[in-house]
Amino acid sequence: MGHNKTPAAMPEITLASRGMVDGPSGPKPTKRLSRRNIMIYGILIVVSLYYLVPLYVMIVTSLKGMPEIRLGNIFAPPVEITFEPWVKAWAEACTGLNCDGLSRGFWNSVRITIPSVLASIAIASVNGYALANWRFKGADIFFTILIFGAFIPYQVMLYPIVIMLREIGLYGTLWGLVIVHTIFGMPILTLLFRNYFTSLPEELFKAARVDGAGFWGIYFRIMLPMSLPIFVVAMILQVTGIWNDFLFGVVYTKPEVYPMTVQLNNIVNSTQGVKEYNVNMAATLLTGLVPLAIYFVSGKLFVRGIAAGAVKG
Amino acid sequence: MTQALQALTTILIGLGACVGYFFLSNRLVDVIWPPRGPNAGRNINRANMIRPWLFLFPALFALGLYLGYPVFETLRLSLLERVPGGGYEWVGLENYIRMAGEPKFWEAMRNNMLWLLVVPAASTAFGLLTAQLTDSIRWGRIAQMLIFMPMAISFVGAAVIWKLVYDARPIDQDQIGILNAVVVGLGGEPQTWLTVPFWNNFFLMLVLVWIQTGFATVILSAALRGIPEETVEAAIVDGANPFQIFFKIKVPQISTTILVVWTTITIVVLKIFDIVYAMTNGQWQTQVLANYMFDKLFVANDWGVGSASAIVIMVLVLPILVWNVRNARKEME
Repeated sequence: MGHNKTPAAMPEITLASRGMVDGPSGPKPTKRLSRRNIMIYGILIVVSLYYLVPLYVMIVTSLKGMPEIRLGNIFAPPVEITFEPWVKAWAEACTGLNCDGLSRGFWNSVRITIPSVLASIAIASVNGYALANWRFKGADIFFTILIFGAFIPYQVMLYPIVIMLREIGLYGTLWGLVIVHTIFGMPILTLLFRNYFTSLPEELFKAARVDGAGFWGIYFRIMLPMSLPIFVVAMILQVTGIWNDFLFGVVYTKPEVYPMTVQLNNIVNSTQGVKEYNVNMAATLLTGLVPLAIYFVSGKLFVRGIAAGAVKG
Repeated sequence: MTQALQALTTILIGLGACVGYFFLSNRLVDVIWPPRGPNAGRNINRANMIRPWLFLFPALFALGLYLGYPVFETLRLSLLERVPGGGYEWVGLENYIRMAGEPKFWEAMRNNMLWLLVVPAASTAFGLLTAQLTDSIRWGRIAQMLIFMPMAISFVGAAVIWKLVYDARPIDQDQIGILNAVVVGLGGEPQTWLTVPFWNNFFLMLVLVWIQTGFATVILSAALRGIPEETVEAAIVDGANPFQIFFKIKVPQISTTILVVWTTITIVVLKIFDIVYAMTNGQWQTQVLANYMFDKLFVANDWGVGSASAIVIMVLVLPILVWNVRNARKEME
């Protein structure tokens, strides 16, 4: 999987450069619509309808007013673009008795995501470094525990953690959820960092030790500067994972501190009043905004982050 | 703004605590075994043996407490029952027997098996198809990027979008749901898709396939690009047609990757919860195990059967879990 690859995506670079050196020469062949091409494009169109129409309709619907939606014509672009559904989803939509929209959930998610991402990455990177470079007694056992911890299904631990959080008084609070996210992110992140640090040349580490650098000296002066990409990957994996989490949010928090995903579900499933399709779609888009923004900015690294996290419990 | 400030403060406190612990424990080792004086060499070695454990201790402690202990606690709870008036009683397998007597449980088992048969296969197949097709056309990269997009949004978000796809209104009104709009446009009758027993399972599965195909596409496309071109060229020289090249030359070479994608999605499927919870909540015979467990634990407050069903999920995941762990160990040694 993604987390045991060497840092740079080498194959691509070599392929591209090979094409430059001894690629085909002469005039570019003219394109023609062979039967094979028609088939390829035909399949692609059907496939892209399946994948893109829902996204398209979501965006279009979120920009329409309810009277226009009731007329049908869901595929048509809005006659009159209105941002009212967005405003309503953000500030006025009701969940139960609260009518202050998704904004509350947004800030909750921010307050949950940032500390748990920073803490889990800080701890996991040090752990990964200790595992990779400081061969010590018992490292193997620790390593096996980590792998199990990374792959075990969350469902098994769900309820006992409720009891534990209740006992230390953090059940239903933001901090309880932060602790849960921090700890559950740690195994997969530690493995990610360990693999990366193992892939770095060992001579660097040995040379630094000969020069008298200590545990932290090597970590901060040698390892950190060389591992920016893996930190970005870890950040992406954690931010999207925690932001999109629903299960932990719904189990470990109470309405005042619901993360955005849980609130989205509550807004959409609230039974009072008429179904406001446009507000629902705007709310979905708002909830997806953070991970989507990260996706469009980070591109390739995002895919690596998701691939690395795909196997986790 | 105050909220942002508050968040910032808490972060600083948390980070400060981590740094403080690491710094102080580091100091402590240096004080107890000073790396100078007559025993410098021995002290350095000893300190180096202890130091990693010191830094790993918080993580180990937290992992043990939050990951290790709960697994056994769930197992224990699945064998207990609350006695009226407080306290617990050992009841052996009674919770499991009670669970096996519930039709809802077997419905969940059946549906999970259906999901297991359909979703990993469909996602991997679609992923392989799109990976191959997008590799051979110019705007393939953009297509891949768009297909991967559902991976970025939450399962709940996807569920909300697909609720719009399956939305149904009374026959005399204009249809807003995408699928019904298409069906009516083609002259058919609108359906309440999510309430049609048995088939509604497949409508829910489509949502997960929609999400997971992007993942499969990206991973498989990378694997396809890693195939040595000589093998494909040799096949072309030998007169193989595109289908033969794909199925006989390319697919066998990336079979390991296909297996990895397949099993990864299988694990996702075994634990599928968000989509079912948000779309039908297990009504109309769409129950799945994880949602059944959630119902028992947090709605019915029956933690005995709830824990028992968690153990069932665990047992189902276990073979793949072990396979994964062994693979990971092999790769990382």
